[in-house]
Amino acid sequence: MASVDIVNVKKSFDRAEILRGVSIHIQDGEFVVLVGPSGCGKSTLLRMIAGLETISSGEIKIGDQLVNDFTPRDRDVAMVFQNYALYPHMTVAGNMAFSLKLRGIDRAEIDRRVARAAEILGLTALLDRRPRHLSGGQRQRVAMGRAIVRDPRVFLFDEPLSNLDAKLRVAMRSEIKDLHQRLKTTMVYVTHDQIEAMTMADRIVVMRDGRVEQTGEPLELYDTPANLFVAGFIGSPAMNFLKGTIEVADRTGFVADTGTFVPLPPSPTHGELAGRPLVLGIRPEHLRIADGAAGGFEVGVKIVEPTGSETQVTATANGADLIALFRERHTVRQGDQLHLTPTHFHLFDGQNGARLASVSI
Amino acid sequence: MNKNNRLQNALFYVVVVFISLVVLFPFLWMLSSSFKTQTDIIAWPPKLIFSPTLQNYAKVFGEQDFLKYFINSTVVGGLAVGLSLVIGLPAAYAISRFTQRRLALFILLARLMPGISFLMPWYIIASRLDLMDTYVALVLSHMLIALPIVVWIMSAYFNSIPVELEESAMVDGATRQYAFWAIILPMSGPGIITAVTLSFIFSWNNFMFSQVLSMEKTKTLPIAVYNFVSYAEVDWGGVMAAAVAIMAPAIILTMIFQKFVVKGLTMGAVKG
Repeated sequence: MASVDIVNVKKSFDRAEILRGVSIHIQDGEFVVLVGPSGCGKSTLLRMIAGLETISSGEIKIGDQLVNDFTPRDRDVAMVFQNYALYPHMTVAGNMAFSLKLRGIDRAEIDRRVARAAEILGLTALLDRRPRHLSGGQRQRVAMGRAIVRDPRVFLFDEPLSNLDAKLRVAMRSEIKDLHQRLKTTMVYVTHDQIEAMTMADRIVVMRDGRVEQTGEPLELYDTPANLFVAGFIGSPAMNFLKGTIEVADRTGFVADTGTFVPLPPSPTHGELAGRPLVLGIRPEHLRIADGAAGGFEVGVKIVEPTGSETQVTATANGADLIALFRERHTVRQGDQLHLTPTHFHLFDGQNGARLASVSI
Repeated sequence: MNKNNRLQNALFYVVVVFISLVVLFPFLWMLSSSFKTQTDIIAWPPKLIFSPTLQNYAKVFGEQDFLKYFINSTVVGGLAVGLSLVIGLPAAYAISRFTQRRLALFILLARLMPGISFLMPWYIIASRLDLMDTYVALVLSHMLIALPIVVWIMSAYFNSIPVELEESAMVDGATRQYAFWAIILPMSGPGIITAVTLSFIFSWNNFMFSQVLSMEKTKTLPIAVYNFVSYAEVDWGGVMAAAVAIMAPAIILTMIFQKFVVKGLTMGAVKG
């Protein structure tokens, strides 16, 4: 086990800059998820920790060892790949034993470790099979088993669940989380799926265009996103955004560029922000149906999707689509006119996207 | 199945048989001639029905030292292919993983260039180094045939193997060289069989290099056919029987490995 320090790391391929100076401190035993849209550099960063990609500038330390110039084999990390990368000509046991054999560990100890890993992952009955005779979920487990037997300083996961079907993905998600709680090894996990990030991470690093947008615990990112990008990326369905300005003259509220007026209760921050180009952000579950026509803004219902536990309503306000999520049951139908009002909202700078205020009503 | 379908089927087989006949005609002609006497071969109109004779084969295996030529061809082909694998497999791997397309094209060029353009240099080198009529010269010249095939087929084959396999092995503690040896090579059976089959057959059939670089000691099979051609006459029966005997191993080899060969040749073709 070890901490991982990434200090101002940069990477460019030819002229394209993939990472533009990334710094992350990962504590010993922490489960950190790197998340971002494809092309944000998260996989490249993970591969740089593994030693599969060179570092253009900056430092990567594992424990207190500077590993910039270490080959992958000298870094004592284990990696689980998206396509599992199982050795097809070896049995499950052979796959798991490969790294131990390379380290010259004696036969009895190898057998003991493979048996233990197989037991943890429920693979004991499959040890003599070849990878091609396994299902996707089983292959995924073998890939993890191969990492576990080594007892490495750091586990690296590169989108390990994206080749599995939805149901299996949910199951494996909790398995990996459970594994982390049992092994307490430092884990760095890359995904483009914010749900995976939210549900598994101790800490999430949101990346975009080779930069870190925000680092924090899952709910911290959800409740206080640093900027528009994080606000829109974390959370599903995504946060609703309206461009416009604050008005404090005769009526207090947010005037969207589309003409929609969202009445807001008076607040000292409004005065400072009045007149500036802003973006109003409201999470779908922070919209409720207003008591009277005066208390909210009017929307036309386009789609109603009840799941039983909640109802998702897609509505349009002067051409801008909004999503509202209700825990309580409403009898809403397509074509209805509703008045919605936020219970909690964020205000972002219209120019640089930084969050300026978050207000609960 | 309705009438229309059956008609289509029948038509299909007629076409297949026709094309096969056209393609196989020279081969069948050679095969039948090898069982004919000299008189029957040159008879006009050609005799379709004749009393077969084994005298041509008796000549090939009796009067001529065919076993020696057979061994020569096997040794030259085997060594050329073997050495080509030793050099070509790592080369193909490097070309595939470090995307050396230009280098690959350059190697293919050696295959595309008319072999005759290499003949003079080879002749001069071999005679100056006193290597005429030795296995060394012959094997080296046949590697010019085998090596590009090995490199070309194997680099396409390695392209189809996910790079994550070596990366995983490297993170697991292997060097790149060991990952190649322990992970990639054991997976490459079909590709290697394809490369070996094709390059061996090309070497087996090669006439030009052997004709110039070998004399009595290292003469290979295709040159031995020439023994039946003399100033006075051509012993067509002997030529045909020798040709059949030379072709047999190549055909058998292809039949055994054709499944792999097709797979190996189309590898990488289907993957964008």
